[in-house]
Amino acid sequence: MTLVNRLRSVAVPFIFGVGFLAFWEGAVKFFHLKPYFLAPPSKILSQFFDNASRIWGAASVSGMNALVGLVAGTVFGVAMSFILSRFRFLSSLITPLAIALNAIPIFVLVAVLNNMYSITSEIPRRIMVSLVVYFIVLVNVAKGLTQVKTTHLEIMHSYAASDIEILRKVRVPNAVPYLFTALKISAPAAVITSFVSEYFGGSQNGLGSRITSNIANSKNAAAWAYVLGACLLGLAFYLVSVVLENVASRGAGATNNTNK
Amino acid sequence: MSAVHVAGVSKIFNQGTPKQVDALVDVNLTVEPGEFVSLIGPSGCGKSTLLRLIANLLEPTTGAVTVNGKTAAQSRLDQDYGMAFQQAGLFDWRSVAKNIELPLELKGWDKEKRAARAQEMLELVKLPEFADLMPWQLSGGMQQRIAIARALAAHPPLLLMDEPFGALDEMTREYMQGELLRICAETKTTVVFVTHSIPEAVYLSNRVVVMSPRPGRITEVVNVSLGANRSEDTRAADNFFSGITAVREALRGTHADHANAGAVRGVEDR
Ligand SMILES: Nc1ncnc2c1ncn2[C@@H]1O[C@H](COP(=O)(O)OP(=O)(O)O)[C@@H](O)[C@H]1O
Ligand SMILES: [Mg+2]
Repeated sequence: MTLVNRLRSVAVPFIFGVGFLAFWEGAVKFFHLKPYFLAPPSKILSQFFDNASRIWGAASVSGMNALVGLVAGTVFGVAMSFILSRFRFLSSLITPLAIALNAIPIFVLVAVLNNMYSITSEIPRRIMVSLVVYFIVLVNVAKGLTQVKTTHLEIMHSYAASDIEILRKVRVPNAVPYLFTALKISAPAAVITSFVSEYFGGSQNGLGSRITSNIANSKNAAAWAYVLGACLLGLAFYLVSVVLENVASRGAGATNNTNK
Repeated sequence: MSAVHVAGVSKIFNQGTPKQVDALVDVNLTVEPGEFVSLIGPSGCGKSTLLRLIANLLEPTTGAVTVNGKTAAQSRLDQDYGMAFQQAGLFDWRSVAKNIELPLELKGWDKEKRAARAQEMLELVKLPEFADLMPWQLSGGMQQRIAIARALAAHPPLLLMDEPFGALDEMTREYMQGELLRICAETKTTVVFVTHSIPEAVYLSNRVVVMSPRPGRITEVVNVSLGANRSEDTRAADNFFSGITAVREALRGTHADHANAGAVRGVEDR
């Protein structure tokens, strides 16, 4: 990419974003919209800075739930994908289930989990995040472990490699990019699940519950300030996963990888 | 002792099901050490299947395959052959040198010995400066040379190749053919080479095995030896063209819908 192209790819969305905010601000002023209907961006921003420490506190709670769930879900997902790739019949049972579960909003299960733990426990939310992440990681990593190039397998067989050697030298390295793809999908999903699971009761200390409580109190601008915090948290998770991927692929020397 | 001995081999896929394919029927073939033998024929005639039977990547339905005087299974366990395919099949996550070292790793060689051999192989394929590059940084022809270096890294006496130059442009392809001949002469490697290019088969081979489909079988074996000192001039020589004509004629008889498919049998030494 040339410098001009790169500048353009950054500048265009940036100009669009600034223009959109200006339009929003202008529309609120021009139509004299009531603050409880739509707050102007300037008000939201000032609310954001006024409440910065509270937003940070709420973001830490939601972020921690997302992070714990992300790590646990990834660990279990990777472990299960190894078991599935070893036992094909299990895979044929579980993979369709995992795909189906990915397609429905299973985070409503948190309502059930909430009944199983004390009212102030964060565990149900973390379990919920883990479950969502688990299925994403499971499906992707299992694909990476099994969808290995035929030529690679034939070459390994021609060297009389054992199943364990094929696993270590072909399947696992092949699955690494799939894991990072899964993490890129999982990271925002973990944050969203963490927010949404706060809507189903439990302590009112995370970003999700703060957004609802501010809306309930007609504090529209404050609610938006928390939404902004939520966006930033989601973005942070996503960016970290992208950075991790870059570091890992540079370690493997596979940047600019041209195949698939 | 022959390098490869295929005796009365048949291969039937999905036997007894509606999807049954008689990929090979009663195939007999002997390859002597140091020989370069090409398998040629229309697609689907069982060339790859025959090569995979020799490599013990498939088991014959009937008959026996012997490699270096051992069963095909034993030779595979002993890494008696190296293999190269149309896709270079390099591992994207390994450097060029690490790709070449793979068969040595599997043999349990230690690190220094592996690195030394990888360098030796890189010199053999004339890419000595490429050790630390990643496969995607190489052109198709270079990748294929690395694949050959990997196949020969453990110095196996036999090299099995399935259309290794099929994805290369014509110029690169002819260059690679010259390089392959040089490498095999230097290393005294026996080669069984699958191709569907007549000039390629004639240029490279001592013998060209002509096959026909449905069911897959050997219809003719054409002797084409152009001598040890083949060069670019050889491609303009009379015996090169007469070899091409001989193989082409043998191939004419091989299409399944041809009335006298078997009529060209026994037209060997030309
Ligand atoms: N694993 C397999 N299962 C079923 N049929 C196969 C398999 N491998 C090859 N065949 C069939 O066997 C025949 C010969 O295939 P192949 O050896 O690949 O031919 P060629 O390499 O000469 O093009 C073809 O009809 C092909 O469809
Ligand atoms: Mg083939």
